[in-house]
Amino acid sequence: MSRLPVVKGTLDLLVLRALSWTPMHGFEIVSWLERAGDGSLELEDSALYQAVYRLEERGLLQAEWGVTENNRRARYYKITPAGRTHLRAETKNWVEYAGTVTGILTAAKSSLPNGDAS
Amino acid sequence: MIRAGIRRVLSLALRRRDRWEHEVEEEIKLHLALRAEQLVDQGRTPDDAYAEAVRRFGTLTESRARLIEAARQRETRMQRTEYLSDLRQDVTFALRTLRRDKAWTTVTILTLTLGIAAATAVFSAVSSVLLHPVTYPGADRVVVVYQQPAKGNNTGINVTISPSAAVIRAWKTDAHAFEAVEAFAQSDPKLRTAADWVDVHATRIGAGFASFAGARPVVGRVFTSSEAAIEKREALLAEGLWRSQFGADPGIVGRVITLDDSTYTVIGVLPADLRLPRVGASTTDVWLPLDLRNDHTGAAVVARLRPGIDAARATAELDSVFARVSSASGEKADLRAVVAPPGRQVSFRDSLMLLGYAVALVLLVACANVAHLMLARSDSRRRELAIRTALGAGRSRVFRQLLTESVLLAFAGGALGVFAGWLGLRAILAASPTSLPALTLAHVDYTTLGAALGVTIATSIVFGVLGAVQAGRESTNDALKSSTQRSTTSRGRMRQVLVVTEMALSAVLVVGASMLVRSVANLQRANLGFEPTGLYAIYPSVPRGTFRNNAARGAFLRTLETRLASVPGVTSVTMASAPPGWWRFLVGRLEIEGRPAPPSTSTEFIRVNNIQHGYFGVMRQGMVAGTEFTDTTDAAGQVIVNAGFAKKHWPGESPIGKHIRVAHDGTEPWRTIVGVAAEAATGGPVSEEATAPMLYTAAMDSVTAAVLVRTSGTADLLQPVQALAHNIAPGGGVTVKVRSVETGVAEAIAEPRFVMWLLTLFTALALALAAIGLYGVLGYAVAQRTREIGIRVALGAPRTRIARGVIVGGVALALSGAAIGLGIAHWGTKVIQSQLFGVARSDSTSFVAAAIVLVVAALLACIVPTRRALAVDPMTAIRSD
Repeated sequence: MSRLPVVKGTLDLLVLRALSWTPMHGFEIVSWLERAGDGSLELEDSALYQAVYRLEERGLLQAEWGVTENNRRARYYKITPAGRTHLRAETKNWVEYAGTVTGILTAAKSSLPNGDAS
Repeated sequence: MIRAGIRRVLSLALRRRDRWEHEVEEEIKLHLALRAEQLVDQGRTPDDAYAEAVRRFGTLTESRARLIEAARQRETRMQRTEYLSDLRQDVTFALRTLRRDKAWTTVTILTLTLGIAAATAVFSAVSSVLLHPVTYPGADRVVVVYQQPAKGNNTGINVTISPSAAVIRAWKTDAHAFEAVEAFAQSDPKLRTAADWVDVHATRIGAGFASFAGARPVVGRVFTSSEAAIEKREALLAEGLWRSQFGADPGIVGRVITLDDSTYTVIGVLPADLRLPRVGASTTDVWLPLDLRNDHTGAAVVARLRPGIDAARATAELDSVFARVSSASGEKADLRAVVAPPGRQVSFRDSLMLLGYAVALVLLVACANVAHLMLARSDSRRRELAIRTALGAGRSRVFRQLLTESVLLAFAGGALGVFAGWLGLRAILAASPTSLPALTLAHVDYTTLGAALGVTIATSIVFGVLGAVQAGRESTNDALKSSTQRSTTSRGRMRQVLVVTEMALSAVLVVGASMLVRSVANLQRANLGFEPTGLYAIYPSVPRGTFRNNAARGAFLRTLETRLASVPGVTSVTMASAPPGWWRFLVGRLEIEGRPAPPSTSTEFIRVNNIQHGYFGVMRQGMVAGTEFTDTTDAAGQVIVNAGFAKKHWPGESPIGKHIRVAHDGTEPWRTIVGVAAEAATGGPVSEEATAPMLYTAAMDSVTAAVLVRTSGTADLLQPVQALAHNIAPGGGVTVKVRSVETGVAEAIAEPRFVMWLLTLFTALALALAAIGLYGVLGYAVAQRTREIGIRVALGAPRTRIARGVIVGGVALALSGAAIGLGIAHWGTKVIQSQLFGVARSDSTSFVAAAIVLVVAALLACIVPTRRALAVDPMTAIRSD
């Protein structure tokens, strides 16, 4: 299975989605994305941090230094109410968009990660 | 909030920039470590795992730089957001607190507004009219240069002399203190239009004038050289005339225009904003070349000093060049040069400066009042602040809160003040008498605006913060406990000091205002020595060249005079070379027969008026001794002196029959004094000329004469006189100016009256502010003593005694202010002296009036606090707290 480049703008959405469960530090987010996407997303790890900083700047995330299970200092990211609103709205957009495009192409089954909105 | 707190704690150790970098580094390091661990768990060797971790992260140096940059951007943005949200919170809260104290807020903003408005309006006028009247390049080094008699003159009039062309030429080449020396001469020729003649203002200038003044032609070019311009009879139109008379014709260059009896070729148009460096000068319509080759012409001089050269050095150089020129030409005139900034010559200068001082006092009173209001507020909020501190608000937070309030007030007051100042300046301009054309230059000046805003805003902030700091220094416990005690804290005393200051400053203003009021009353009552009502001066003007010679012009005037006598309403007619409002001088040595003649090198200015028979009758000017002219021929050599002249030269003796002459070359015939005329203030009561010695001669100088007519009632003379002049004058283009002498005299009083009104207005303003201040202090004192008053009332003290206590306190403050203020005024009336007419600097009436006004203001301020003290209910007062 070939690895899929991340479509521009969707990384933010994926990060928000990751953080919608619980606050995480950078590597946790990366690992979560790898697990959830079955390792099929092609992404440089540094890009994740860039996305996180961007989201923090926009007030969709909030960062706080905390401690990991094995007592290491890490920067934890938490989704803000504004981030949740943003995630909801953008997920809806994305699903509609992806559905429409898929319908038009009537293509073979895609291997996109599970993207259903909760 | 917590986030902000953590951010602040973390930032303690490291500088901001270092912190982001470290944070990013730390995050990357952790990531790589965790990734490597993950890979090791999957069975890789540690080295291999780390290399793979780095590979997955992306090029390390590059991505690190990118992340640091992203982090920096994030931090900046978030700090701004955080700051803005805090600010919004502060502002919202401040607005709410201010709104709760509506009365206090209104008074504070009003005080700021009035202070800033008054200062802006007047300082702008001072700045634009006196300090920056010209906009030429290097304006701060532009000076006007003129000459004055070295030994002064006793004519009662400030004489300035336009240097002669020979002198100007020498200055242009030899005065090295200047970058450039330019000359200009104004005249009022008539411009021939298709139908008629139009009166225009012309200014003759040298070729370098336009570039000196920084003006570029709108159309065409400027004079390339004075010689060529004179030779080819070139002329430049001013933009205004070009638009009004020539329909802004773009093809105007090459057009030939006729001015009086000469024709000129238009070579260009100069912009409308090119003004002469003479404040209040009429607008130029036509610019002509100035011929400095003719030594008999005089011209006004404007020059630009070289950087670093002061006026004294420039003056010395001008004088030495002048001495050389005059010794070469055998001229004996004893003149000295004056180098002055263009604003120095403004006639309104003294008045404007006086208003400037007055407004500075108003501004000080406003500042004191604001300070006082700020302190009062922090006093009354001690409990509130203490409670907030007790509940955990940081001191810096409280401080910021108070600062925000002060700044908000300052800005509200500032904005309103600037607007009101702009309106005020416009109102002042609208109300200013037409005799003050200089004032039209006045506009709101950004420097002064900034200064006025700065002073008041600084005051409100300083005292707002001062109050906050004092409130902060107090222990919370004390503040909470002692809401009713400590009525005479240091702050209470400070507020009393402020109020006394306000009262003192107001007292100074009241003294000044009442002096001016009395002065203007004197002016209006003044005995002029002649009757201006019903008197008109008629100045006919014809295109130059209409008359072949002076005799022809004289004949025209005499015909006009004779015919005028038959115009309905005219009761008598005469002619004079110096009609009211004008002065003429003889320059020479005054010799009195039988007394030693003054040295032949000395010259003197002697006021003279060449008058015709019937002059004193038409003027209704009395004779003190002797008779009017019995023989007006030159041969008879009769002369009349005024009482000032007689008093100066023959004190206690009759001058009738004495022989005098004004010698120039020594061949002048002696004249016999036949009469002594009463002194007449023909220029209005303001000038000191009335008592200055002068001569009346009978020989008619017809060239500049005006016809004087006395009418019964206020006849409209213009139409009939114009018609009459048209009938008699050969050729067309005769215009007649009819000036009411009464209006002229009224205009002369208009300026002091205008100044008086403004000063009175500012005084009222200061006084109102001071009264508000006093009211504040008394009201506060009563509020603080409510308990004490209650107890005293309960113990049987009569209410009147309590009322008396309040009033005595108020009046005592006012009187101490008055005492200080009157002391300052006694010393400060120097600045008003030149504006006073018939009022001494030590005018006791004005001082007493000031004291009374202050006490009255104080009593008014006492009313409300007294009533409040009387209304104290002993039971509530004692129980409260």
